[in-house]
Amino acid sequence: MSEPVNGDDLAGRPPAPTSPLEPWPETVRWQPISRDLIWVELIRLGILLAVALVLLGVAWAVTGHWLFGAALGVALLLAAWRAVTIVRAVRAWGYAERPDDLLVRHGLLVRRLSIVPYSRMQFVDVSAGPLERAFDLATVQLHTAAAASDARVPGLRPAEASRLRDRLTALGEDRAEGL
Amino acid sequence: MTDGPAEPKPGAPPPHPPADHGDPAAAPPPAAGEPTHNGHPWPPQPGYAHPPGPATPAGPWPGHPPPPPGYGHPAPPPGYGPPPPPPGYGPPAPPPGYGPTAPPPGYGPTAPPPGHGPPAPPPGYGHPAPPPGYGPQAPPWPSASHSAPGGPGPWGPPAPGGPGAPAQAGEEPRQRLHPLSPALHGAKSLVVVIAGLSWSTLSRVGFGWFAALVAVFVLGATVLSVISWWNTGYHVVGRELRVHEGLLWRRTRAIPLERLQAVEVVRPLLAQLTGLAELRLEVVGGGKTEAPLAYLSVAEATALRNRLLAVAGRAPEAAPPAAGTPPAPAPAGRLLHGVRNRDLLVSQLLTPQAFLLPFGVAFVVAQFLSEGSWSFIAVASTLTAMAGVVLQPVRRVLDDWGFRLDRDGDALRVRNGLLETRVQTVPLHRVQTVGVTWPLLWRMKGWLRLRLEVAGYSAAEPDDRNRPDRLLPVGDAPTGELIVAEVLPGVRLGALPATLPPRRARWLRPLSRARVGAGLHEEVFVARSGLLTRRLTLVPYARIQSVRVTQGPAQRRLRLATVHADTAGGTGAAALDRDLAEAWELAAELTTRAHAARRTDRGRPPG
Repeated sequence: MSEPVNGDDLAGRPPAPTSPLEPWPETVRWQPISRDLIWVELIRLGILLAVALVLLGVAWAVTGHWLFGAALGVALLLAAWRAVTIVRAVRAWGYAERPDDLLVRHGLLVRRLSIVPYSRMQFVDVSAGPLERAFDLATVQLHTAAAASDARVPGLRPAEASRLRDRLTALGEDRAEGL
Repeated sequence: MTDGPAEPKPGAPPPHPPADHGDPAAAPPPAAGEPTHNGHPWPPQPGYAHPPGPATPAGPWPGHPPPPPGYGHPAPPPGYGPPPPPPGYGPPAPPPGYGPTAPPPGYGPTAPPPGHGPPAPPPGYGHPAPPPGYGPQAPPWPSASHSAPGGPGPWGPPAPGGPGAPAQAGEEPRQRLHPLSPALHGAKSLVVVIAGLSWSTLSRVGFGWFAALVAVFVLGATVLSVISWWNTGYHVVGRELRVHEGLLWRRTRAIPLERLQAVEVVRPLLAQLTGLAELRLEVVGGGKTEAPLAYLSVAEATALRNRLLAVAGRAPEAAPPAAGTPPAPAPAGRLLHGVRNRDLLVSQLLTPQAFLLPFGVAFVVAQFLSEGSWSFIAVASTLTAMAGVVLQPVRRVLDDWGFRLDRDGDALRVRNGLLETRVQTVPLHRVQTVGVTWPLLWRMKGWLRLRLEVAGYSAAEPDDRNRPDRLLPVGDAPTGELIVAEVLPGVRLGALPATLPPRRARWLRPLSRARVGAGLHEEVFVARSGLLTRRLTLVPYARIQSVRVTQGPAQRRLRLATVHADTAGGTGAAALDRDLAEAWELAAELTTRAHAARRTDRGRPPG
């Protein structure tokens, strides 16, 4: 995938509404990630919840201690709350490609925005777990030499993921500076 | 190492491509006796495999009185390694004198002219003649390379050959670590074994059995280290250092020297007694210190360090020393600062741990008095438990004893340590951040501490002591200012811009708001924090890897945000609780400045 062709067709999407997490609204066009990620995350949550419920339920049935019942209720409540936040969190996730750097924002409770120059890229990961694959999604992660750098873009269509990867590596090579 | 012309290892770069040796034009061909980069003649001579090789017949190398075995060409020892000293070892006609019979006083062609051999750890790039009688127990082979004359002792000089050596055709032969290494490792394991068996075991099984157990474990450890020593080898191939190790699971690590961040020569107490040293390399991406070469002789370690640093130097053609010049005299560098040991002691007395020590001792004593049980075991275990925590100041004193900071060309050289001496060399352009700390109790003296961060040390490095990040263990403000100016030219510690967060940030930091700040200097990003222990972090723009803005829930209420500048080493710097608009501006500005700084920085090698 050559980047000039694909580099622009997504940039034409309407920018997301402005919020405190969106600096420079006039220059940055945020790309949303696929809503299908909501389902992936929800299923993940469901599996986790099911395991927790089974364990707690068995423990409750065996011991009959009310604490396990309470924990079960708490788990259900937490899961319900998490399900709501997942929907919002996935909507909040976005990325933007600027000429010299990649912007990634995510998080609801703690909001994060990462600005990672392409030139600092060390390597790019494209990964897709079984669940993600089932929904035809992939995750792209840009690694720099700094452990704290946090440029992960989940929920991309495979085509978009490989386009982003190719573009990142091309730009990274072009501007490589290492440390 | 096999007969005949070089047979490049599959996947290996062609033996000694020109680039690896610097520009042949820049480094004139080794006319008689001129040292070249790796101690190999360049341009390659017919059938060139490695130096002592084919076309360089016979010991009397012009200008090289001692028959050069090549850089650390270990001579195949009689009765060691692949049995017979292969007559065809190396290229066709093994020059007379190449091999066990040649006591190579130096590292190879670069060996300093006779008489030059410095008794001190060798200076510059040149390869040292073995210091006469270095080390209290100078090992019986004289050379820094392991090619001992006649291979004394059962181990003799390590054969380059060990397993897998034949594959190394056309490359500089592998070198073994110092033959005393296994013994040292074994001795080191003594401590571990005793700690592992613990005092309670001692009380249970009695002293005799305990000693027997320890002996068995230590013996086992020593045997293992002998095996691992036998299979460990290293050599420099082009611009890489390759370290081979492992018997069952072979591992070869190729460490690109362009990526070298820092080199450290460490000499633990035992190593000091035996004249050995450990060489540690820091490379980005290594979760831990890569390739600790333990142990080498001091001369060898120093020579290798200088060699690696030279190869890692900025321009490839700068790597080989100017031809014809004798190995640069000891790059003593310019003394920047030496810390007085008295200051060091006082500074460590002014730490919370030191203040707590009397209480700890009193507690233990009171406990024993009240219980009336004075058994040796109980005392010993309590003391051991306490030692870890409370004796940290003591450890610091021992670590930083005789601290001395030199500027050596483009690198900083830090020496410290009493029982375990360390010499760290950090190229200046590898400095990622500089941190200044003013601990609470030191402020009455006006003292501060400087640290620097180098890439390659993960934050998870368990042993804090292995991070070569001390720049100044203790010093007053002018000293700090001097050193900071040296490390980050143009930065004056006393006059750094920093603005406070907005007033409403006091809801988040009621006490420390006035101590938090951030500012943009021309060269560095400045971030302050800390109420009791004040901290200041300086990040050169060119070292910023990425910029992050984070906003927690409370910050969102107050329209504040924190701007992080991430660096490859350490935690970077953070401008805490800035006004949101200002945070965006700051992030944009940091990104722009980092970009601009990297552009001007481009002359430097990547990595």
